[in-house]
Amino acid sequence: MRVSRAQDEIVLEFAEGEAGVLRSLVDQYLEVVGGDIGADPAHARLFPDAYRNDEAAASEFARYTRAGLVDRKAANAAQVSLALDEETVRLSPADAERWLPLLTDLRLVIADRLGIRVDDDEIPDTPAGEVYTWLGHLQESIIVLLEEL
Amino acid sequence: MAVVAQLVERWLVVPDVAGSSPVGRPIHNSIPSADADLDTSVEVAPDVPWVTIVWNDPVNLMSYVTHVFRTYFGYPKPEAERLMLLVHHEGRAVVATGPREEMERHTEAMHEYGLWATVAKASDG
Repeated sequence: MRVSRAQDEIVLEFAEGEAGVLRSLVDQYLEVVGGDIGADPAHARLFPDAYRNDEAAASEFARYTRAGLVDRKAANAAQVSLALDEETVRLSPADAERWLPLLTDLRLVIADRLGIRVDDDEIPDTPAGEVYTWLGHLQESIIVLLEEL
Repeated sequence: MAVVAQLVERWLVVPDVAGSSPVGRPIHNSIPSADADLDTSVEVAPDVPWVTIVWNDPVNLMSYVTHVFRTYFGYPKPEAERLMLLVHHEGRAVVATGPREEMERHTEAMHEYGLWATVAKASDG
């Protein structure tokens, strides 16, 4: 993967297979996000309780915000998925802003699967751990270039 | 990534049930009573503001948290970085103060960004 800047765009050049892996992750993410409320442990990270010590207020907040959040997260992910047909993806600043929250959400879900709960938890030396780190590099690279645009 | 690219695994959809337990409690889906719709705006004393708090998590990059504070709240970079470092070192930071509805909107926006945010009365925070 190479991340560079061309005029006012950010250019992602994926190595062979990388775009496909990312697309597969995004498709899986769509299943996770759209699943029944609470059916997936990662929901606690994607849709955290908005009130820490007030269950009634937390559930009311979820009741009013959850559907909209699911829709917006899913629409965002679907749009990113479309761009992953190509091995080279050009992002406008607005596109890049759409990618960043999705990359975070993908990492939140993988972190849940890997049992990464606190700062000191180690990233396991597994393919999923490698993908988790790779997504972080991609996100960091986009942010650095975005701040230069 | 070359090795990873060869694999077609479903890391996201199939949880590792043996290795992980559900985090936190399930989202409650009970339907509040009808008058619950009204109570949020009534109980706020005007002199007790509410806050939006962002909590530390092991996933989000420091650069991303700073970026969100800049782009969403419009904080200058030094203030965004100060708040990010508070989150990182103290475990949390108050990122906004004001009426409850507004703090809930900010919290919802933070959740859309993938940050862990909560609402509280300023006096509790």
